[in-house]
Order: sequence, then C-alpha cells, then structure tokens
Amino acid sequence: MKKIVYAFMATVTGLVLLFSYRTSTAPESTSALADAPSSGVATVPKTTPTPSASASSGSPSSGSTSSGSTSAQTSSSGLTDGTFTGQAANTRFGPVQVQITVSGGAITDVQVPQYPSESGRDQQINSRALPVLVKETVQAQSAEVDMVSGATYTSTGYRTSLQSALDQARA
Amino acid sequence: MTGAFTVVEPVMGTVASITVIGERTPRVERAIVACVARLRDDERVFSTYRDDSDISRLRDEGLELGDVDPRVAEVAAYCRDLRERSGGRFDAHWRGWFDPTGYVKGWSTDAATRAFDELLADGEVEAVGVNVGGDMRLRTAPTSDHGWRIGIAHPTHEGELLATVEVVDGAVATSGTSERGAHLVDPRTGVHLAGPVSATVVADDLTTADAWATVAAIAGIDDVDWMPVAPVASGIVWEHGRTRRFAGRVEVSAFHDVVAG
Repeated sequence: MKKIVYAFMATVTGLVLLFSYRTSTAPESTSALADAPSSGVATVPKTTPTPSASASSGSPSSGSTSSGSTSAQTSSSGLTDGTFTGQAANTRFGPVQVQITVSGGAITDVQVPQYPSESGRDQQINSRALPVLVKETVQAQSAEVDMVSGATYTSTGYRTSLQSALDQARA
Repeated sequence: MTGAFTVVEPVMGTVASITVIGERTPRVERAIVACVARLRDDERVFSTYRDDSDISRLRDEGLELGDVDPRVAEVAAYCRDLRERSGGRFDAHWRGWFDPTGYVKGWSTDAATRAFDELLADGEVEAVGVNVGGDMRLRTAPTSDHGWRIGIAHPTHEGELLATVEVVDGAVATSGTSERGAHLVDPRTGVHLAGPVSATVVADDLTTADAWATVAAIAGIDDVDWMPVAPVASGIVWEHGRTRRFAGRVEVSAFHDVVAG
C-alpha cells in the first residue's frame, strides 16, 4: 500500500506540474475524464473552500498562484495533510488549475477549481470539457449522444450498432 | 435552430456516418460527395484487400515508395514516427511488409473532412461530424457554440455506453477487440490480443486519436508508459472491467483508486 501511495504521489506531482507548465502543448480540445457517480450528466466538481483555494477563481487573467498547504501533518505515507493548489496553467481556453486534498496521508479529493470564464465560448467549452465516465452504464438513447465511438465495426456489424440507430433517427 | 441530418455511406469495409448541423444546400451536398470520394480514393490506394491497391503492389511487385501514389510515402513517414514514439507498440511493418491499416482510416478521415473547410469557415454549416466505423472527426464553425456529445460504446455490454465525452472541435477514436473479435496484434510479439480490451482517445485530429487509441489498446491496461509522450487530450482504457483514465498526459483515475483504497 505504501508503495502505491508513493506512486500516486509521483502522479500527483506530475499532474500539478503538467498543469502548471503545459502551455504550448496544450491540446486544442482540452478535456479531462471525470467521474459522475450514477449519472450521465457532466458536472463540474464541487469546490471545497480552503485557505489555499483563494486562487482568484473568478479572474482568469490574474495569472499564476503558488502552491500552499493548510497544515503540516506528515503521515507515514509521506503525504502531508492539507490542500495543495497547483499553479494555474495557461491553456488555449484560459488558465486551468488543479487542487488536491490530502487527509490521513491519502489523497481524498482532486479538483480543478479554476475555469476560464472570460468569453461565452470559453465557458461553453469548459462546461463541456470534462468527459464523463459513466460508472453505471446507461442506454445510448437516454444519454442523448450525437455519435458513438467504438471498436471498428464491419458493414454488417454497423446494422446493429448504436451509431446506426442514431443515424436512422436523423436520416 | 438549424436542421441536422446524417448521410450514411459504405466505405473501407465499414460505414461512414456524416452528420451535418445545418441546411442541406447544394453546396453542402457537393462537400459530402467530395468527402466520401476522398475516403474511397484513399481506400483504393491503401486497401490490403485489393490486389491492385498501391499498398498491395508495393508488397507484391517489389516497388519502391517513389513508384506508387505519393500518399503512401506520406503515411509511411507518419508510421515510422509513430513506431518510434510509441516504443514499438505500433509498427506498420510487423508482418515484414508495409501495412498501415489501423492508421490510414483516421488520417483519411481528417483529409476527407477538409471538404467542409470553406462551409465551416463562412458559417454555411454550423458543424460537421464524420464517423468512420466508430472513429470520428468533429468540426465546429468558429461562429458556432455547437458541442458534440459522443458516447463511448461499452466494450462488452452491447447497446450500453461506457462513457460520454463532449468535443467542440477534435476527434475521438476507439480501438479494441470487442466488435470483430481479436483483430489487434501486438507488433512486438505477433500475438493476437485476447481481450476484451478497449481504448478511447480524444485528440485534436483523428490521425492522432486513431493512432494512439491503437497504441493504448495494444499496450493494455497495465502499460501506460506511452502516455507521457502521447500528443492527445484525454482517454480511457478498459480491460476486463477495469478502467484507467488520463488527461493532459497523466492518469486521473489513480486518484480515485487511492480514495477507494
């Protein structure tokens, strides 16, 4: 378990650093995959108010903020309890920031508290920028999708595919 | 509210579904024809099922890249680069001859979708999505706020979705064993993947998404070493009921494992 936690610590560091410094390599379709428990609706993660989360979530142009923590209790896992906020990374859609919460030596929450909000289009993009892993699978019809991605179907396989059903509805 | 319609055309042994958000004007019709024509012409050049394709002639007649359609050399250059960057997880030469199947479809779809460039630029259509056999390029006019809501098919539960992803302008590709049985081969070993495995990648274009979805599926769920070098936005790998997700070149699902554990 300890080894695993260290591995994830490295991942967390990597995540924060990458979000901090990835600028020119920012993908055009900035998106992340996030959980939406028992629902197919994309939701922005809830924001946990902490002292370090004062990173001007409403003003994207304010630039980067440095990381900080709320307490300094280091557990046996090597992770210090508290909330840590990465620097805001400038993406094509504006600054994006990552925040993690460590409690009892384990990461208990990961959030992306800052979203660009300057233009209407940016807002549109970002409200949609978190792809949703459907934990409890839903029928395509009820998910109201425009298209379906899946392993390549043959012409025959297409006939019974979800994509085919969508196409017939829109022919 | 503008209209939306879908045109379905058989191509490359599968089906292309072209969805247009906009009116069905003669100009739009011409763009659809041009799009399908490009896909079919690329199929003519790259099909390994046709003896007279440039790819087959390259293999059977001992021709050089310079002797065949210039698109072959273009794709060959991409494939060499991908082989290197993916650490051999993708290798168009694994059978001893050049077979870019698994790469061409995405590349060709990107090229074919350029038939809509002008219509999108001047706003005659709001958005266009071209889905070829489950891999799609999605385009949205700069003047539009249209977003594409894409379902990712569950690899083993037919008719159900594993995830949904919203894309404004980009591409979504899925590689895996689910639809046609084990047809993915690890080029490093020549072994067919037993599966079931499925990998979905979101990227700026379908050339990239398709290529790296193949890499991710070949790598399988326990190998994400390729992730830091992949020029993709996000994705999901699914194998035997386990999922791993990543975004911005790092894994995100790991956090939830920690929370759960």
